[in-house]
Amino acid sequence: MSSTAVTPAPAAATRQRGRRGGGGPRKIRLPRGLPFIVPYLPFLIAFGVAPMLYALDLAFTSSGGGWVGFHNFIRTFDDYRFRPAFEHILWYTGIWLGSLIVLVVGLTLLLHGRANRVSTAFRFLFYLPGALAGAASVLVWLFMLDPAVSPASFLMHHLFGVQLFVQAIAPGKLPGVFAMIAFWTGAGGWIVVMYGALNTIPPDLEEAARIDGAGPVTIALRLKLPLIRKWIAYMAILSFATGTQLFVEPQLVDQASLGMVPDTWSSNQLAYQFAFRYADFNAAAAIAVDLLVIGVVAAVLIVTRTGLFRRED
Amino acid sequence: MTRIASVARARRQLRHFLVTAGTVALVATAAACSSSGSSAPGTNQTGSAAATGTVGGSLTVWVDSVRLPVAQAYAKAHPNVKLHIVTFDGDANGATTLQTKIQLWNRTGNGWPDIIFSEQVQDPVWMAQKPFDYAEPVTSLFPASMLSQWPAPSTAQCTVNGTQVCVQDNLAQVVLWYNKKLMDQFGYQVPTTWQQWAAIGQKVATEHPGYVVGSIGDSFSHWIYLWGNQCPLQQVQGTTVTINPTDSHCTEMASLLDPLIKNGSLPPLSVFSPDFAKKYGGPNSKVLMMPGPSWYGHDLFLSTLKTAPGQIAASMPLQWNSDPVTTGQVGGGPWIISRHSKNLATAADFVKWATTVFNPTGANARPGYPAYAPLAAVWVSRLAANPFFAADPSPALKAAASEIWKGWNLVTYPDQPVWANTVVTGLVAGKSLSSLLQPFGTALGQAAQAAGYQVSQ
Repeated sequence: MSSTAVTPAPAAATRQRGRRGGGGPRKIRLPRGLPFIVPYLPFLIAFGVAPMLYALDLAFTSSGGGWVGFHNFIRTFDDYRFRPAFEHILWYTGIWLGSLIVLVVGLTLLLHGRANRVSTAFRFLFYLPGALAGAASVLVWLFMLDPAVSPASFLMHHLFGVQLFVQAIAPGKLPGVFAMIAFWTGAGGWIVVMYGALNTIPPDLEEAARIDGAGPVTIALRLKLPLIRKWIAYMAILSFATGTQLFVEPQLVDQASLGMVPDTWSSNQLAYQFAFRYADFNAAAAIAVDLLVIGVVAAVLIVTRTGLFRRED
Repeated sequence: MTRIASVARARRQLRHFLVTAGTVALVATAAACSSSGSSAPGTNQTGSAAATGTVGGSLTVWVDSVRLPVAQAYAKAHPNVKLHIVTFDGDANGATTLQTKIQLWNRTGNGWPDIIFSEQVQDPVWMAQKPFDYAEPVTSLFPASMLSQWPAPSTAQCTVNGTQVCVQDNLAQVVLWYNKKLMDQFGYQVPTTWQQWAAIGQKVATEHPGYVVGSIGDSFSHWIYLWGNQCPLQQVQGTTVTINPTDSHCTEMASLLDPLIKNGSLPPLSVFSPDFAKKYGGPNSKVLMMPGPSWYGHDLFLSTLKTAPGQIAASMPLQWNSDPVTTGQVGGGPWIISRHSKNLATAADFVKWATTVFNPTGANARPGYPAYAPLAAVWVSRLAANPFFAADPSPALKAAASEIWKGWNLVTYPDQPVWANTVVTGLVAGKSLSSLLQPFGTALGQAAQAAGYQVSQ
C-alpha cells in the first residue's frame, strides 16, 4: 500500500544529476547527496531503522529479555497458522506482482503510443482508484464484491458464477480477490511513473526506429521495453515488499464477513495476532524479521538478475 | 540510456528506505508502545472502600452503539458525573479491539477506561487473567442482594477462577422464533422438538420452496444448534478444554441439519448479510421459523428484516425427541469495571444504574432481555403488549432463560470465527455439516492450544 510514496524520486534525481556534471569517482558523490536526504533521515532512523533494530532484538530474546537464539523463529514456524499464512502470501504476491508488471507495463506502452490528450485522460482515469486511501478503497471493494449491491453484479453472476458475497470471498478465490483490490488501488500510480520513464526515451531514438521500418508494436517491445527495464525491476522490488506485508485487505474483509476469512490469513496478520491477542511480541518480531529477510532476498535477486545498479554507459 | 540508468541509481537509496520502512511498519508500533516498560503498574484500590465513596467526578465508558443510549441517559440523569463516552465495535465477531487496546494501556501504564461493555460474552474470561488483568471483582462493589438477582447461569459465566468479575447486561437465551401468519397460512403446527422442526423444513422445501426454517451461516450458528443440543465443544476444567465433535449429540444434530441445508430451507447465510435480507426479508418475509436468541425479536425481525407487525411470535426452545429441554445462547454482553479505575464508586454506580434502573420505553427501549430479574419482569410485561408480535413471546423467553445448557463454558479464544472460516465456508462450497465437524474440532483444538489450554477429546 506504500507505492504512492515514490513520487519525489525523479525530482531528486534530476537535481543530483545537474550538480554532478561530468561525474567523478563514486565515493565523492555520495556525501553531496546528503543534504537532500537530511530532512528524511531523522524519520528514517526513528520510524525505520530503530524499530527494525528493536524487532531484531525482540526476535532473538524471550519476554524476559534473555537471549534465546532462533527459538522464536522455530516456535512461530511450528505454529499451525504459519504455513497457510505464508502460502497465502506467496499466491497473492505471485498473482498481484505478475498482473502488476504485465498490465502496468502493457497499459503504459499503449498509452504512450496514443495522442497526448487521450493518454492524459486515461492516465488520470487509471490513477483515480489509487487516489482513495488504502483502507477506504478496500471498503469500496467490499461493496463491489457483494453481488447484492455491486454495480458489477452481472459480471459476477455470468463470468464467475457468484450469486452471494460468501461465494465471492470463498477461500480459494481470496488471493485473486486481494490481488485485484491491490492492483486497482496501486496500478494507477505506477502507470504514471512508467509513463514518466517512457518520456525519458529520446524521441530521436524512436524516430530512427520508425525510419528503419519498425511498427508501433516493434517499437514498444523492442525499443521502449528494454529501455525501461530497470524501472520495472524497481517496481517489482518495491511491490514485492508491500505484497508480502499484506494486512489491510484480509483484515477488513475478515471483519466485514464476520470471520469468514481467518484473522491470520496473511503473515503480517499472524504477527499482529501474536502481538495483541497473545501478548507475544517476540513471536511477532520473529515473523516481522522473516518478512524482512524475504524482502531483502527478493530485492537482491532482482537487483542482480536485472542489473538494476549496473552502469552500462 | 544514461538518463534512465542514473535515475534508477539515484533511486537506490530511496528504495532502501522504502523497503525498510515498509517492512518494519508493524514493529514500529511495538517499539513505540513498549518503551515505557512491559508490565502494567497496577493502580488497584481496595474495592469496598472506593465503592462507598461519593458518586461524581469523571468517568470513561466504552460502549457499543446499542449501549450508547444507556450511557447518554446516565450522563443526563447524573449531571455531577463528567462522563466520557467512547463508542467502539463492541469487540464483536472475534475482533481483537479490546485485547489490542488493553495491551497498549497496560504497556503505557495509563489510559484504561473505567468501564467497558463488550458484545463478546467470553471477554471477561481473558480480561480477568494475565497478561490482561483488567477486570475488577464485582462482589466487593455491589451488595450480594443485588447480585443474586442475576440468574445462576449468567453469574456462572461472569465468574472466572471463582471470582465474579462482571455483570451481564442482557440474557441471550435461544428460543424458536416463528412467523405465525405464515405457519397458519401453510397449515403447519409450531414444533416442540428438533425432529418436528426438521420435518417441516423438509415439507416446506417441497410445498413452498424459497421459505426457510432457520439459518446456519452466522459465526455463532453453532451456539444455536450445537450448544442447544449439548454438543461438548467447550467444556473447561481448570486449564483443560474438552472438544469432542464426534459425540453423538453433535453428529446427530449434524445429520438432522444436513438435508435441510441441502434442500435450501436452512441456508448457510448470515441473517445479518444483505443477501439474506434481500432473499428472505421485507414485509412479506420468507422466514417461516428461526431458532435464535432473545434479541432476534427486535434486532433481526424488526430492525434488520423489517418484518411486518403482527407476524412474529416465539415458542419454547426445541428439544431433542423426549430429552429434557436445553438451549443455547448467543450473546449476554457483560459490563466490566477496570481494576485500574480511580473512581470505582462512580463506576459501580454507573453499572448498577445501567443494569438495574435503565429500562425506557419507545425508541431507546432495551433490545434484549434484561439480565437483572426485576428489570426483566417489567420488560417482558411490555413485550406482551407490543403490537409487533403476533403473540406474546414472553412465556417462551422467561422459560428459556433458565434452560441454557451449563456444559458449554466460555473460553479465552474466540471460537466463532473458527466456525465461520472452517464450517460456514465449507457449507457454502457444498460440503455437508457432518463432514465438517471433525475439521471444526481440529481447528478449535488448535485455537485452544494456541491460547494455552490443554485439549482432550
